[in-house]
This record gives sequence, structure tokens and C-alpha cells, in this order.
Amino acid sequence: MEPENLVARVLAGDPDAERALYDAHVDRVYRLVYRMVGDGELAAEYTQDTFIRTFERLATFRGEAALSTWIGSIAISVVYNGQRKAGRRRSREVDLEHAEPVATPSREAEPDLKIRLARAIDGLPEGYRTVFLMHDVEGFTHGEIGATLGIQEGTSKAQLSRARARLRKELAAFAGEWA
Amino acid sequence: MLDDREDRFDEFLRDQARDYNPPPETPRAEIWERIRAARETDRRTGGPAVGESADVLPFRRSVRPTARPPFRLALGIAALLAIGVAIGRYSAVRPVTPAVPAPASEVAAAPARPDRREVASQIATAEHLTRVETFLTEFGTPNPPAGFTAEAHDLLGTTRLLIDSKRVTDPRTRQLLEDLELVLTQIATLDPKDHREDLDLIADGLAQSHLRTRLRNAIPAGPATRM
Repeated sequence: MEPENLVARVLAGDPDAERALYDAHVDRVYRLVYRMVGDGELAAEYTQDTFIRTFERLATFRGEAALSTWIGSIAISVVYNGQRKAGRRRSREVDLEHAEPVATPSREAEPDLKIRLARAIDGLPEGYRTVFLMHDVEGFTHGEIGATLGIQEGTSKAQLSRARARLRKELAAFAGEWA
Repeated sequence: MLDDREDRFDEFLRDQARDYNPPPETPRAEIWERIRAARETDRRTGGPAVGESADVLPFRRSVRPTARPPFRLALGIAALLAIGVAIGRYSAVRPVTPAVPAPASEVAAAPARPDRREVASQIATAEHLTRVETFLTEFGTPNPPAGFTAEAHDLLGTTRLLIDSKRVTDPRTRQLLEDLELVLTQIATLDPKDHREDLDLIADGLAQSHLRTRLRNAIPAGPATRM
């Protein structure tokens, strides 16, 4: 079904259309939200809020962007607001200050690398982190990211580049893995 | 050469980052049920009430961009608690004599944080009881102030939050809060146009339960509670 028709039917109060709209977008929303918060309960809560707000505001959807992009922007807004309020960022169980230094990268070093990478991603500024997760992890294009976050495509590219540079610096000890 | 190295890093990064917060399968049905229940509640009550459905438990209170009454109440409590914590910190008794390092076991056993929170909770409760006392005094005059139902509603929300708080442990305070909840509910649901008979009943109830006297007794004297 065309998104315009779906939106029209939802606005007309068709419950099947509501479910169809939800089914069409929930996976993408949940995946992105989960990547950002790393917690099943929070991801479900934010996804729930995203769709409630989507249905509440659907009448304001003008079709200037794709519906998925519009819903994505609501999801990002819900996550940002929720995270700011809760002051929450997933903390890693392993204290990296006490992690064993790795002199020679090897397969055994991989778990430590993953933890360090996760910590490095956690430590990125919010904007860099979001762009990095959307582009490099979830496969959004810079056009989609720009439309979702309300920034220029060039800004998205610049933020991704800076995010990668920071991660490269943070993971310098593991240079042997890719150099 | 450098570009080549960076390209390899980017590829490596994308590969490794797939394991960052890997999402499980979407709990589609569960989330949908909660959305449906929340929206159904909205329709019934004529306003958004996300996460307040009686038949489906919320994940947690909805994240909303505007401050609606329950959120304002929570903000109020949070602000009171923050003020309480600040006062607790500044008024904490400092040792007069040079401190001698305590044995590690004693340091570990010192319940510094719980005390501070306890004090913050007591301050928040006292502040709330002061507001209720003021309100009931004004309400008891021959001409109650306009908008008293709205204020009663506001105070009722805070009262319920305190009742739900695990930090309010004193049984007398809890009993007082529960009695206040009843009275405030009556006042909050009064018909503003025709309430003379109800007012008399509430006044009788207040007198019988000695609520104002109990309120005054529960409010500690001192400027800290009269912020």
C-alpha cells in the first residue's frame, strides 16, 4: 500500500491501517533505538512512545520527507529526550581502567577490543555517535540521516568522519588488526 | 598510503561495530499491545494518558515534550528532593576536631548516603504538608479561594507520590498522608458551582479526624521547612 493511502486511512480512524503502519516501520525504529540505548526495556518504551507520538501527530505529516524518515526523526527525538532526562548511558560491566593491556593483537584479544570499541562509541559526542550508528551500523544513507536529524548531508558526512577519527585514536592500540 | 590505511580501518570498524548493542528480535506484539492500550485510554479519557492503562502495564511513563499535570507533579517532587539534598549537604555536621582516618571497616559501614536521602525526603514531606496546611486553612474560610479544586488536585498528586515513596517510612506520617489523600480527593472532585453541602461534610470530616492539628504536629518548626 502507498504510504499516502496508509496515512489517509490511519487519519480516517482505520485500526487495520494503524497496525499496518506500525508493522511497516517498527523493526527499523526498534533496531535504531536499541542500538542507541542498548537496553531492551528502554528500547521498547521509546519505540512505544515513538509510535504514540507518530499517531498523535500524523495529521501534521506533509509528505515532504519519506514517512520512514519522519518517524525516524520522532524516534531520535524520543531517545534524546529520554536519555537526557534519565542521564542514562549504558555503562559497561568491565572497568576498562583495569583491563589488561594488549601488546600484540591476536584473536584472544578480540573480546577486549570489542569492549574498548563499545566504550569508545559510548564516549562519542551525541551527534557523532548517532550519525555513526545510523550510517556504519544500521546502513542509513547520508541523505536519510540528514533528513532524519534535520542536518545537511555534508554535516552528516563531516560528523561521521570525525566520529571515525576519534574511534581510530581510541583504538590505536589495536592497529595491528586492520593496518 | 594513509588513505588506504584509513579505508581499512573504516571497513574494520563497520565489521566490529555490528556487535555494538546488537538488537534482539523486535517484540512487535508486546509493544503494539501497549500502544493500543495507551491510545485506548487516551480516547476514553479525552487526553493522552500513556502508560496508565489499567489492563496493560506500561514499560515506563511516556516521554513527552510538554509538561502535563502528572509530569509537573513529578517535577515538583524532584525539585523538592533536590532542594532537600542541597540543604542536607550544606547543613551536614562537620567534625570540629581534626579528623583521624577511620578504619576501613567503619568507613565502609558508614551509612552517609541513606541519611542524606532520608533527610531530603523528610524535608520534601514537611514542605508538602506545609502547603497542604496552608491550603486547608484557606479552604476552611467562608469564601474559599477560586481554583481550589485545581490546587487540591495538584496537592493530591504530590500526596500520592509521597505515599508511594519508600522513603516515607514513619507510620504516623503515612497515615496522615492517606487521610489527606481522602480529603483532597473529596475537594478535588467538588462541583465548583454547587458544593455548599459537600463543603460542610468535608469540614465535618476535617474536624473529626483532627487533620489540621495532626498536620501542624507533623510539620517541624523552623525556617528550613517554610521555604
